[in-house]
Amino acid sequence: MNFVLIFLITIFSLSLFFYGRSKTKSIAIEKNIKLNALPKFYGYYLVLWCSIPSLVFLLIWSLFEPVIIKSIIIETAANQGAIFNDKNEANLIYEKIKAIHLGTYFGDIDSILRESALAYAKFINLFTNSKVVLIFAIVIVSVIYSLKKINKNNKARDDVEIILKGLLFVSSLIAILTTLGIIFSLLFESIKFFSVINIFDYLFGTNWSPQRAFVRDASSITAAEFEELKDAFGFIPLIAGTTFIAFIAMLVAVPIGLFSGIYMAEYASLKIRRISKPIIEILAGIPTVVYGFFAALTVGPFFRQIGENFGLTVSSESALAAGLIMGIMIIPYVSSLSDDVINSVPQSLRDGSYAIGATKSETIKKVVIPAALPGIIGSILLAVSRAIGETMIVVMAAGLAANLTINPLESTTTITTQIVMILVGDQEFDSPKTQSAFALGLTLFIATLILNYIAQRAVKKYREKYD
Amino acid sequence: MNNVKIKSKNLNVYYGEKQALFNVNLDLNEKEVTALIGPSGCGKSTFIRCINRMNDVIDICKVSGNIEIDGVEINDKNLDVVSLRERVGMVFQKPNPFPKSIYDNISYGPKIHGKGETKSELDEIVENSLKKAALWEEVKDRLDEPGTGLSGGQQQRLCIARAISVNPEVILMDEPCSALDPIATAKIEELIDELKKTYTIVIVTHSMAQAVRVSQKTGFFHLGKLIEVGKTEKIFKNPDNKMTQDYITGRFG
Repeated sequence: MNFVLIFLITIFSLSLFFYGRSKTKSIAIEKNIKLNALPKFYGYYLVLWCSIPSLVFLLIWSLFEPVIIKSIIIETAANQGAIFNDKNEANLIYEKIKAIHLGTYFGDIDSILRESALAYAKFINLFTNSKVVLIFAIVIVSVIYSLKKINKNNKARDDVEIILKGLLFVSSLIAILTTLGIIFSLLFESIKFFSVINIFDYLFGTNWSPQRAFVRDASSITAAEFEELKDAFGFIPLIAGTTFIAFIAMLVAVPIGLFSGIYMAEYASLKIRRISKPIIEILAGIPTVVYGFFAALTVGPFFRQIGENFGLTVSSESALAAGLIMGIMIIPYVSSLSDDVINSVPQSLRDGSYAIGATKSETIKKVVIPAALPGIIGSILLAVSRAIGETMIVVMAAGLAANLTINPLESTTTITTQIVMILVGDQEFDSPKTQSAFALGLTLFIATLILNYIAQRAVKKYREKYD
Repeated sequence: MNNVKIKSKNLNVYYGEKQALFNVNLDLNEKEVTALIGPSGCGKSTFIRCINRMNDVIDICKVSGNIEIDGVEINDKNLDVVSLRERVGMVFQKPNPFPKSIYDNISYGPKIHGKGETKSELDEIVENSLKKAALWEEVKDRLDEPGTGLSGGQQQRLCIARAISVNPEVILMDEPCSALDPIATAKIEELIDELKKTYTIVIVTHSMAQAVRVSQKTGFFHLGKLIEVGKTEKIFKNPDNKMTQDYITGRFG
């Protein structure tokens, strides 16, 4: 039904465009006046007036209809004599009634349910009909209003401008609200988690074994259980593993990325640049899961083999393999950003250095790189936050055990990996184990937020210098 | 008349397909200011960039013909460009101090060329260069502040000091005052007058008045050709060539 309505509104609006355009043209000729806006603006004006109020109404209606019907039906069912003790049971009965209406309910149907299902059908019908009638009314009223306006030769251009501005504003508002929604959902679940686990036990604990909290209701936790849980959620091994792997990744990505960026910006001829830049950027386009199995199936075993030759025990899931592959994944971010930054160092600085007798490498080392340094640091920080947030490679190549170790040949784990581990499969949503994922998410979010902020500040500071 | 310091013979320059200079023969005298004038795109900047081989930086640029400094050919593949540029300094149209401190801006050149082994030697070079560029009094108390924080005119004098710091023989100036206000320009011109006692100076300028004020010899370029060259007085009072006459009286360009 909604689709039909939207379709009709669209068609009607479009035809109004042509009507409005030709109508105002003819008015202009008839009365021999100068229009306040181009004829097409009167067309837009009609389209916007016809579509926006009715579509907004439809949206609001669709949001509230199920809620209202539900409360009405639950009330009628209660009047019929249905018994339910809490909200969950009421929901269950409502779902049953809905299923009976749709013909997908295969349980026993007693008289209460049957009556309620009939009432449901009645209300659905009533609501649908009134929706259609109201929408038609809205369309007619707004079209009549806007037609009157354009007959008076209003300033349609300004009005269209205002409406479009409003539309753009609403779009950005949606983006912002979504972000806020995500932050708050993280925050609320984390607060629940921290009401069970002390925040200091979480931040400074050195033992991470959330499976100990397996299927345990947070609201009815006993003192003994609490003692046991207390040291199951230590954050230290995870942040240590995360920083460690990110560090290995940066050891790979920063020198290679930076040097290739310098080569691209300063030495490569136009031809080489044109071919090799896209090839490096392909690295950024490879899905991380592909990197992941490359790390797990090729690089990990390869390191173990080499380790065996030297008499070392290398876990086939090692921080080294994961960090190395992650570093390779990040190379294009560093190289392409630092290439851009180096390119935007003005040629006049290079000329100044050459003119005093500096060689190319002296110029790069002493003038170009120092001038580009804030931007380069910014690009490195962005790469770090990418490394910290990376999940797939670590899940596949670094292992799951939360070892607190600085041996790159052992397996270790990261924040993101643990979030995946916790949320894969069936979940109890009020167990501290599940809620810990939100706490981890929140911590990770704050960490990357800070890094991004610093990076952007650095990049901005650099821009100001030359603009 | 001073000795000839720089001598160009049949100099041709090409940017890709386009020829920018045609058979330029020009002698520049020692410890004298030579002004090069002419409309935009006439090749005067291209010419001075040949003297310190700055055109090497541009991939598509090709130079043929001869340029001699003190009788030594410099347009030679085997010539050490670094030591050439140590002898021939350059100041650009837009002041381009490095984003470093004032001190580091000046000490950059001497450090590269291994002059000034100790800190006190470097201090001396910095002080002398800034004094010669008439900037010392203005900046002596803030040598560790960034050079980019100075005013436009001060920045240009800093660039001149930077060029002086390696003790060159020739200073090339590519429209050094075009980005400056009249007061800063007057200061630079005063400075040029002072500097010509020590250095051979070539200045490209769009201002006829400036050429008259600072130079002893003037060359007029048009469409890549050297049309006329002679004593500044003569060029501006009584040029031989009709085109020169038209240009300096503002009839074209």
